[in-house]
Amino acid sequence: MIRTGLWILGGLVLGGIIHLVVILLLPMLSANAAWDRVAALGPAEGMQVLAAVSTDKPNPLRLDPELAYAVCRVDLRKGPGTVAGNLPRAFWSVAVYGRDGTVVYSTTNRDSTSTLLDLGLFNPAQTRLLAEQKLDIAEGLLIVEAQEDDLLIVVRLAPPHPAMRARYEQALANLKCGNLPT
Amino acid sequence: MIVIALGTGFGLSWYALNDGRLFGAVEIGPWQAWRDVGVPGPDPYTRAHIARAGALELGASEGLQFVATFDSDNRRLDRNCRYRIDGSTPPARFWTLVPVAPDSGAPITRPGGPTDFHSARLSRAPDGSVELYVSKTLAPQNWLEIAGDGPFDLVLSLYDTSSLSGTGANVATLPSIIREACA
Repeated sequence: MIRTGLWILGGLVLGGIIHLVVILLLPMLSANAAWDRVAALGPAEGMQVLAAVSTDKPNPLRLDPELAYAVCRVDLRKGPGTVAGNLPRAFWSVAVYGRDGTVVYSTTNRDSTSTLLDLGLFNPAQTRLLAEQKLDIAEGLLIVEAQEDDLLIVVRLAPPHPAMRARYEQALANLKCGNLPT
Repeated sequence: MIVIALGTGFGLSWYALNDGRLFGAVEIGPWQAWRDVGVPGPDPYTRAHIARAGALELGASEGLQFVATFDSDNRRLDRNCRYRIDGSTPPARFWTLVPVAPDSGAPITRPGGPTDFHSARLSRAPDGSVELYVSKTLAPQNWLEIAGDGPFDLVLSLYDTSSLSGTGANVATLPSIIREACA
């Protein structure tokens, strides 16, 4: 009886260990992270507007059909990253993701009146240079410090009506995304 | 022992990432959300959930997404039934409600028709509450026509919301999902 109990207890402890290993390893082993899905869609450079969600296509990134999305990947090893441009007077937001799909930074145009997006992405070394004023940047740049070098930037824009989608997608396509000249 | 170990290990992991109520997911009525899905440096469970889902999650300052797989009486959402989604939502700049296929994430609405409800384009009661219908058959008020068979999920995205950010008072105001009739 006691022996059986010990076997069961041992099984539960081992199960707990397996559980922790699975949870901790999953982010490293997963092959269908948002990063890989976006990477499969096109080249790394520049802004890419994602196709609108429709009923006949799978939607693995779980996009909202009401929003227009633009994605861009930057590599901070080549210098600080930037996303800049003008957007229409509607809801928009920016999220910066790491390779594992976790959000590094996110913001919105809270008051819906701001139309200028000017975001700078810096890794810790570049942030240090920035603090020492060894990097020349424009005033008013929104500075984001990231711990990793591979970043995925997603700009969401909400057209007030589906009929205005094309014009809003064009505004997203006109955004500049890449590395700051240093 | 090995059977128990494998069963507990993988079973618990599967449960944690699918249901997750004990592990970082919040539940409000039939709606579920992962509270820390949009913050930098989430806990290991949320991190594993993000990796497994492979979706572009909303950042914490962008908004919050709730998913319902069951109705308010804890029955799986079924495309052959008519659902009334009734109540008010937390303060947000706007929100959208999309019925999606559980596996592909694609909207299950009638092809060519609207894919979702948008908070700015609804008819509302004088107190601001809404009554939404999701069904294959014609329904009154705000109606979204769906197609196909089998289960579905409802995805409620709140943009620019403070609903879970600590002020707390508005959390309980998510609408209920009431099954009315099934074909």
